[in-house]
Amino acid sequence: MTLPPDGHPVQVRDLHVRFGEVEAVTGVDLVAEAGHATALLGRNGAGKSTTMRVLAGVVPPTSGSVTVAGHDVRREPLAVKRAVGYCPDVGGLVPRATPWEHLQLSARLRRLHRTEPGWEQRARDLLERFELGDVAHRVTAGFSHGMGRRLSVVLAVLHQPEVLLLDEPFDGVDPIGVEATMAAIDDARARGACVLVSTHLRELAVEACSTVTVLRGGARVATASATEMSGEEGARAYRGLLD
Amino acid sequence: MPTAASWTSGWTEARRAVADVGHLVRFRTGTVRRRGSAAWFALGFVALTTAAAVVPAYTPGAGDDGRAFDLLLLLPTALAGFLGLAVVSAVASGGGRELLDRDPGAVLPVSPTTDHLGALLLAPLNIAWLLQAWTLLGTTAYALGPSGLAAAQVVVLLWLAVATALAQVVAWTFEGVRRGNHGIAGVRLVTLALLGLALGLQMADALVTVLDRLPTRRIVLGMLGGVSWTWGATVAALLVALVLAAALGAVPAHIAARRTPRDEARVESGRYAARRLPGSDLAALVRTDRGSVWRAVPMRRGIAVLAIGPGAVALLGDLPWSTMTILPGLVASGGALLFGVNAWCLDARGGLWRESLPVAPGTVFTARAWVLAEFLVAASAVTVLLAAVRAGVPSAAELTALVCTVVVVTVQVVGAGMRWSAQRPYAVDLRSARATPAPPLTMVGYSTRLAVSTTLTGLVFSGLARVPAWEVSVLVAVPFVCWSLARLVRARARWVDPVDRARVVMAVAG
Repeated sequence: MTLPPDGHPVQVRDLHVRFGEVEAVTGVDLVAEAGHATALLGRNGAGKSTTMRVLAGVVPPTSGSVTVAGHDVRREPLAVKRAVGYCPDVGGLVPRATPWEHLQLSARLRRLHRTEPGWEQRARDLLERFELGDVAHRVTAGFSHGMGRRLSVVLAVLHQPEVLLLDEPFDGVDPIGVEATMAAIDDARARGACVLVSTHLRELAVEACSTVTVLRGGARVATASATEMSGEEGARAYRGLLD
Repeated sequence: MPTAASWTSGWTEARRAVADVGHLVRFRTGTVRRRGSAAWFALGFVALTTAAAVVPAYTPGAGDDGRAFDLLLLLPTALAGFLGLAVVSAVASGGGRELLDRDPGAVLPVSPTTDHLGALLLAPLNIAWLLQAWTLLGTTAYALGPSGLAAAQVVVLLWLAVATALAQVVAWTFEGVRRGNHGIAGVRLVTLALLGLALGLQMADALVTVLDRLPTRRIVLGMLGGVSWTWGATVAALLVALVLAAALGAVPAHIAARRTPRDEARVESGRYAARRLPGSDLAALVRTDRGSVWRAVPMRRGIAVLAIGPGAVALLGDLPWSTMTILPGLVASGGALLFGVNAWCLDARGGLWRESLPVAPGTVFTARAWVLAEFLVAASAVTVLLAAVRAGVPSAAELTALVCTVVVVTVQVVGAGMRWSAQRPYAVDLRSARATPAPPLTMVGYSTRLAVSTTLTGLVFSGLARVPAWEVSVLVAVPFVCWSLARLVRARARWVDPVDRARVVMAVAG
């Protein structure tokens, strides 16, 4: 990983994203560290998903500076995409492709067949861990919402990315799936990856992450440790930040 | 306690269904993005329909004993042909188009009767329906001349409505059967039997005799001579038939709604064996896109109808090689309307994940355009092969003109489709046989533009097929292909732009 001098894999400065008349992100500043998980919290429309899409190289920033794994998202989008594993907030699956076909496409485009000969076994293990082994060869159009979310997490972690971006990974997922996702976040953190988790669920965010950044109206309003945002006290503080 | 639905409750349900159609129509018209275009479309529709119904009556030879009388003799067959086309269209689309898409509609109390009436209302928003209707109105005007024209066109308009309602009854019945035990096999058998019957009649030289005895003769007799008792009886009979057919369609619509769509369930619950890793990035993308196309029920069903339908008609009509150049354009246009005009919708919500993969956007574009092109070429090839069965051995000029037509219209249609896909992306779920890649009015616009350009191309090459030197077709094809390729390259440049691409991906992801 090529990191900037100050060593932060994710650096966002004064990010603005505009869609026509609508400004979805209005000046986000964000820094996330390697080996740590950072949660993005906020209400609907706070700009969490748009920020995650910019970090994944899916949406170009309108202005501001965004560096992921040492690469500028505007100038080196392909390098950013190689470094990132992304679980989008909506669906994230091709409806008439099977989970295995999704994994093969990702492996092929990320050259895993050359760099990691054992990728197929890891993919099978991940499918089993997320209880998707039985449906590995069925098209995802018939999947429940929770199954889709679990597969999106599998696809994001398959290539052991330097930066793991999970947008609403717990949404509609059963306890086994939540446990598997928590384990995937721990694994990524343990091998030194930078993890960003966007979620509405404060309790799960503070359990999975060490730092919490709260967005409101497209801008960052606070950054705190997970401990400060946990429990009744944390809930009150969070509620106060949303208004 | 009586459990059967009473007559009054049935009537109340019917009234509610009609009222709900009104609500849904208002909802749909409220979501029209470009209201100005919709108004122009409505104006154009009225103007064209009026022109088709009146202008031919005032052209030289109209209402005479010559060509006009020949057309009058063919009118019963033309009326029956309209019914046949309406049936094929409604059956292929699984009961017709939806006023409200299935997923958002699932949470609303929309009854199958409302669904049926909505499909009936949307049936004319289809270029094949419109062209046939205008042709019928124009033929009637030319065949009869100005005298008694208004009365005759009232009968034709009523027949268009009756035929559409009857087609809807047949389509819902087919859909109900298709969703039953062994229904898919049963529907295929019936279709093959009907095709075999038509072919058998043609081979036995009995098709013309059958067409001469069609009951639609009575309708033509009823429209002759202006307003009279016979005309009044014909109009009354058609009105009764319209009400009965519209009401009757609700019965099979309810039966179909109670059953699971088996072909969709088969696609979604079937297992697809793992294959070896593709050899290149492009091959991997093409494989994924092919799966998205060929595993979709509307695409499979639509392409089967498009490939076999015109080919079977050409086979029955003994179409010569020089006229066969019209077919590839027809098939390619229809094929593009299945998904090609909104090609990025194949990824649906998976578009966001796919966009996060490290691959050059130009390669993604090439894969999608390639898959669309091969889809269109495969359908055109089946049509041409069927049409060629009875056409004998072609001359070098005829064969070259046909091959050039296939190449030109494919590049034309792929170019147009990829351009529109980037300009106006829609979030569409193509799981259902009734789904279309864009809203109804937009589809009419796309189909009109495709039909005009590909038909003109077909006509050009039809003329060139009669020129002895085969090289002429190739020479004419070159500028056509270059022009379309230039437009395709521009569409690619637009896709490669990250801002434009993000807009498309987010739109199709919903």
